[in-house]
Amino acid sequence: MHAACCIFVVMIAYERKTLANGLTVAVNRDRASKLAAVNLLYKVGARNENPARTGFAHLFEHLMFRGTRDVPNFDLPVQMASGDNNAFTNNDYTDFYITLPKDNIETALWLESDRMEGLDITPGKLETEKRVVIEEFRQRYLNQPYGDQTMLLRALAYKVHPYRWAAIGLTTEHIASATQADVEAFYRSHYHPSNAILSISADLEEERMMELAEKWFGGLADVPYTAEPIPQEPPQQAPRREEVERDVPATTVTVAYHMGGRRSADFYTADLVSDLLSGGDSSRLYRRLVKEQRLLSSVNAYITGDLDPGLFVFTGQLLPGIAPEQVEEAFRGEIRSLEQGEATPYEIEKVKNKFEANTLFGEINVMNKAMNLGFYEMLGDLGLINREVALYRAVDNEAIRDFCRRTFREENASTLIYKARP
Amino acid sequence: MTRQPRITPSQVEVAAAERTRLANGIDLYTLPSDDFEVLRISFVFRAGSAVQQVPFSASAAANLLAEGSRDMTGAEIAERLDYYGSWYDVNLDRDYAYINFATLSKFFDRTLAVAEQILLCPTFPEEELRSYCAKRRQRLAIERTKVDVEAREAFAKALFGAGHPYGISSDEAEYDRLTRDAVVAFHTAHYTAENCFVVCSGRIGAHERQAIAALAERIPQRAAAAPAVFPEPQTTCSVFVGHPGAVQSSLRIGRVLFPRQHPDFVGMQVVATALGGYFGSRLMQNLREEHGYTYGAVAAMVNFERTGYFAVATQVGTDVTREALREIFREIERLGEKPMSEEELGLVRNMMIGEMMRVLDGPFGIADVTIENILCGTDNSIISENIRRIRRITPEEVRQLARRYLRREELVTVVAGAEKPW
Repeated sequence: MHAACCIFVVMIAYERKTLANGLTVAVNRDRASKLAAVNLLYKVGARNENPARTGFAHLFEHLMFRGTRDVPNFDLPVQMASGDNNAFTNNDYTDFYITLPKDNIETALWLESDRMEGLDITPGKLETEKRVVIEEFRQRYLNQPYGDQTMLLRALAYKVHPYRWAAIGLTTEHIASATQADVEAFYRSHYHPSNAILSISADLEEERMMELAEKWFGGLADVPYTAEPIPQEPPQQAPRREEVERDVPATTVTVAYHMGGRRSADFYTADLVSDLLSGGDSSRLYRRLVKEQRLLSSVNAYITGDLDPGLFVFTGQLLPGIAPEQVEEAFRGEIRSLEQGEATPYEIEKVKNKFEANTLFGEINVMNKAMNLGFYEMLGDLGLINREVALYRAVDNEAIRDFCRRTFREENASTLIYKARP
Repeated sequence: MTRQPRITPSQVEVAAAERTRLANGIDLYTLPSDDFEVLRISFVFRAGSAVQQVPFSASAAANLLAEGSRDMTGAEIAERLDYYGSWYDVNLDRDYAYINFATLSKFFDRTLAVAEQILLCPTFPEEELRSYCAKRRQRLAIERTKVDVEAREAFAKALFGAGHPYGISSDEAEYDRLTRDAVVAFHTAHYTAENCFVVCSGRIGAHERQAIAALAERIPQRAAAAPAVFPEPQTTCSVFVGHPGAVQSSLRIGRVLFPRQHPDFVGMQVVATALGGYFGSRLMQNLREEHGYTYGAVAAMVNFERTGYFAVATQVGTDVTREALREIFREIERLGEKPMSEEELGLVRNMMIGEMMRVLDGPFGIADVTIENILCGTDNSIISENIRRIRRITPEEVRQLARRYLRREELVTVVAGAEKPW
């Protein structure tokens, strides 16, 4: 059943080049869409922040919409061109994207090139944007049940690496204390051609897209800058545990283990293991802990997929009457069964099929393609975008057992019990 | 940098869905597109929560379809779908249940075999129902600790009345009282050929069409029960939901208007878009960009089968709740006082047309829009008609619509948060 039934390769055709000023450009021709997607990725994220100014990369992302010397309102021309734009910041990078009718593609290129060197932030704009970001902090983290759970987990698992804080930052005070001088220094250091990747997907000749990139970005001067080294997390030596009590209806148990980074060989094995454990309703954790043993109302196993070494996380929400220890033991039981090599070839084939299907479903959209081109280029190996299916396919039971034994060790575990206040 | 000329897309073209009337009266609509090796099949039933007699019976019937059938257990169904990488999801709104399958073309036959089990012979095992109810009860309890959910539920009640099919929300303890008989009875009464149509998009050849038709023709016919009485809305003009300690208040302002078929619906969509339908909207400019009261604010027309409503929604800092309410009312009044500039209206038009293009990008989006059009008793030709209407509307018409339909004394206000603002 699992033999040669599913060999197909998902391919994204692309062209790539680096402009004289250091900007990397990657383009894909999508013949089906009437839209163009323009993505601009800056290789700066929360991991590059000063520990006394956490949340700054994300605040800065907001400021990028606050107007330049030539274009006082960024959104207006995007909207006039029937476009839609947004951005996000994570621990590793900051990403800006626009989709619009392909005939209007130059509007997007003009605006992105303009704000790469002409940003105009006044103290008044900074003050308002700080308030907006503090409201975002409240809305998404402080005023939500379990809103601080991932923050607590980061602080427990990382003691040195800046992954110990989330992209939103450690506290609203850090955001409130950002200054005009911080803004200027950050802009100079991180927002310049050689720290950026432009990627496009649209129904245009590849050559034409390259010409447009040159036209709008070729004239920008680069400001070379050497990024500060990022303090790396030393290996964890002993198990860590924290218990907190909150006004939530159900207790959750979360266990995180350190693992390799996005570019390590372990990534593919770990991703596959997380899918075996919790990808879909037929996955191991869902079947056994939610459906059969009825310990949990929901369960997840996921990897953070960060550039620097990241985390493999188990998390579950307890049903009434279940003790956290039962769930911790159940997680350990599932780990033992993987270490003993119980994953069948059928099961492994299943998660590989799923990966392929998700890739193909995802590719229907120009935005996803442009974003993926930028992401893989940031990883330092754009070709990986088409090789990953094979890398997933190469994972076998031996690799899974080996990964589990090396990773799921007690001294490598950080356990967070987030208790419902009785 | 110089600007580039922008082009306003004059029209958005969407292929008409091809309709086939099956032997049992079900209409099968197909939207073939060979660009991708995937297809999606949606079965839409008039089986939303508005037609249920027993709390949660509609959602339980929809969500338990795949939890056991005549020939397969729930675990086997999940296993098969996951193995093929097929997506199965169920959505429910007040009026309808949407049962969707997405599959790679190569797994079409095998996915359809599972779909047959789900659609034609679900058994709703008692044990699965109990496990589902326990999980759902807990999830709902968690949802209801969010101010946004509190405001949403209170708003529906305030607009329509606590006992109205569009206003009602049930206590989570009702999950414990939900019986298998009630779920089976709901399924038998509402998952019928008379209540159903099917939309299929993606790579569809003669084989696929024939196979889907053969399956849909086996959905049983059953004389419809007498339609339930549909009461007049009982509106309450202001409601406060106390949430001690909340750092943000969630606000809803709006009123019952009319369904999509009404001649002023599209005009009111223009009004809602100008007010809060895009990033540069008046509410976003005022509440977020100018004052920093919020991370986001939206306004929209929401459509039900029998009516529709206008709503503004936002979350703001607890300390600025009063000011935010004042500004929202000021913006609503301003729309009715003075016609907007041609420039602003042009922006709104372009945004709306661009949004339509984005929604229609790819076969899955086209299927969603097709379903919505069928539900409104029309077809995909309505898209160009609506776009013509949007392009022709004048600033004076927009002003008159706002003045006529958004009179302050007719607007309902709901606040969920720490302090009562009035």
